[in-house]
Amino acid sequence: MKVTIEALCKLFGKVKAVDNLNLEIGDGEFVALLGPSGCGKTTTLLMLAGIYKPSSGQIRFGEQVVNHLIPKERNIGMVFQSYALYPHMNTFDNISYPLRLKKIPKKEISRRVHKVADMMGIGELLERKPAELSGGQQQRVAVARAVVKEPAILLFDEPLSNLDAKLRLRMRGEIKRLQESLGVTSVYVTHDQVEAMTMASRVAVMNFGVLQTYGTPNQLYDHPDTVFVAGFIGAPPMNFLEMRFEERDDGFYLGSQALEIRIPDERGAQARQNDVPQRVIMGIRPEDVSVVAEQDADFKAEVYLIEPLGREDLVTFRFNDEEIRALAPAPFMRRTGETIFLKLDKEKVHLFNPETKVSVLRSGNGGSS
Amino acid sequence: MMSIKRMWKAGLAYIVLLIPTLFLLLGYAWLIIASFSSRTEGLKPVGWTLNNWRFLWESPFGSGYSNIWPATLNTLVMSLVMTAIVVVVASLAAYPLSRMKFAGRKGFLSLTLILHAFPSVTLLIPIYFVLLWIQKIPFIGNGIPLIGGFGYNTLGGVALVMVAFQLPFGIWVMKGFFDNISWDMERSAMIDGASRIKIWWQILMPNIKPGIAALSIFSFLTAWNAYIIPVTFTIGSTGHSSVLSVYLQNFISESVMTEWNAVAAVGLFQLVPVLLFFLFTQETLMNIYGGGKKGGV
Repeated sequence: MKVTIEALCKLFGKVKAVDNLNLEIGDGEFVALLGPSGCGKTTTLLMLAGIYKPSSGQIRFGEQVVNHLIPKERNIGMVFQSYALYPHMNTFDNISYPLRLKKIPKKEISRRVHKVADMMGIGELLERKPAELSGGQQQRVAVARAVVKEPAILLFDEPLSNLDAKLRLRMRGEIKRLQESLGVTSVYVTHDQVEAMTMASRVAVMNFGVLQTYGTPNQLYDHPDTVFVAGFIGAPPMNFLEMRFEERDDGFYLGSQALEIRIPDERGAQARQNDVPQRVIMGIRPEDVSVVAEQDADFKAEVYLIEPLGREDLVTFRFNDEEIRALAPAPFMRRTGETIFLKLDKEKVHLFNPETKVSVLRSGNGGSS
Repeated sequence: MMSIKRMWKAGLAYIVLLIPTLFLLLGYAWLIIASFSSRTEGLKPVGWTLNNWRFLWESPFGSGYSNIWPATLNTLVMSLVMTAIVVVVASLAAYPLSRMKFAGRKGFLSLTLILHAFPSVTLLIPIYFVLLWIQKIPFIGNGIPLIGGFGYNTLGGVALVMVAFQLPFGIWVMKGFFDNISWDMERSAMIDGASRIKIWWQILMPNIKPGIAALSIFSFLTAWNAYIIPVTFTIGSTGHSSVLSVYLQNFISESVMTEWNAVAAVGLFQLVPVLLFFLFTQETLMNIYGGGKKGGV
């Protein structure tokens, strides 16, 4: 089922929780709504579910406008962060509840519950009450209950937030596989960018109720539209430095007190086309900063902090009262306070307008890159 | 050193608690001793007897009056009717107050709180007229078997008035329990396709069993011990609608010397079910103030 969201707004009193949201979710697609808490992503999900009524705008499932349909009439399944299992019912009754409400024959209910339970690996737990299940098992029951009625759309509201790290990783994979095998259009709300990136085919980033960007994980990572998206996606986050943009006879340059780099011509030209201001925000990801010998360096800096991550070490450098972080192969053999030389990957430099916080490397005006 | 100091502190607390408790215990001790003796001098019994308890098998007021059992049955019926109505109405009223937004919700809530604080005595006279009016309604007024009806001088009528005074408290208690149930559970049920009334009955009510139990017990005890309302709205202390507290009044009259020892016995008789109740339901009763979510149901 294709889902179309058009000019959707939701007001709580005077607070705009969702502001003019436009989104299209293809049939069978897995879309993540990503953003910090309070950004309107859960509100959007609850409007899709029919729990909240939109203040204005339109939601369509396929061609049907569903704004005024109650949850029951929408044929959706939803998984909650708190699992929201019914504590007084055992697993079987929990999973079968939506089917019993539909007055489906008992035999058919039993068949479908067992099928889904086996698929989720909880076939042995059907007699147990939720209190007798572990967090991961409860989550599986919740997912089973959402899919047992064969919904047209699946909604997930931070379903993995209450699980421990290891289990979260496993459930992440399971939910993704389940979604792929069922082919159900799914909307997944999360504040965890890794979850969004790994699971979704497209990610919609929201902040303060406004859609920041909507694209594939790779698009968001390689061509972030705004400073917010650039900083929000990717861990460790992108470095931002204030720079001067200059066009000279032989090319385009970024400069500050400590360093000057020449950026590739096509990037510079694109920036010029987008009316780049003189002062820009330069963004560079930690993996695109490397420690080199003095003759290859763009600038020098002092080692300030070393944080081993296992495969790599995250190193924070200081120069001219500014900080830049880099991912260096572990183990990083320098000491804190040592002076080293750094080089930036110019092909990976992002430029943003400091006023509008929008990328000046976008091709064309507006829209996602 | 510290532990001695701590023991002192704990000991002091117990002593402080013991003094008021002692007064209460003395009262109960007198009640028990007095009910089995023909006369007491302070706590000292003079002549053991079972005579005070003869209300169990005969009328202590001579022929034409009954023993205590009809009044006991009346009390039980009135208390059960009142409890049932309070629980059903309070939980139905508390659900929308806890979950839905509608005009006048806040006003209604504060109004119930004010009603709860209202001294019931001030309303006795207007309620008397209301009950007289209800009595004129056929069947409902005075034709229902067992409870008599809901009019004046019926058990149902007394229960109805008790319900009115108990409801504000009941609604607040039930609202507290509904508030404790997560929104997600209700949303989930809505998405599963349940209607509001089904959510209330199939999802929420089973999860606030401790609340229902606690409110039932509280209501039952209130009704069981009630005096002012039954005595005002029924005729005659041994009439067909008299309850235990009213029956007790028979022993106190202006013309005959009050048999305090018999009063003690009837008092004790009325007390026994309450004591047993408390003994077995203490834990549930705690729930009413403890929220009663974890480990409940």
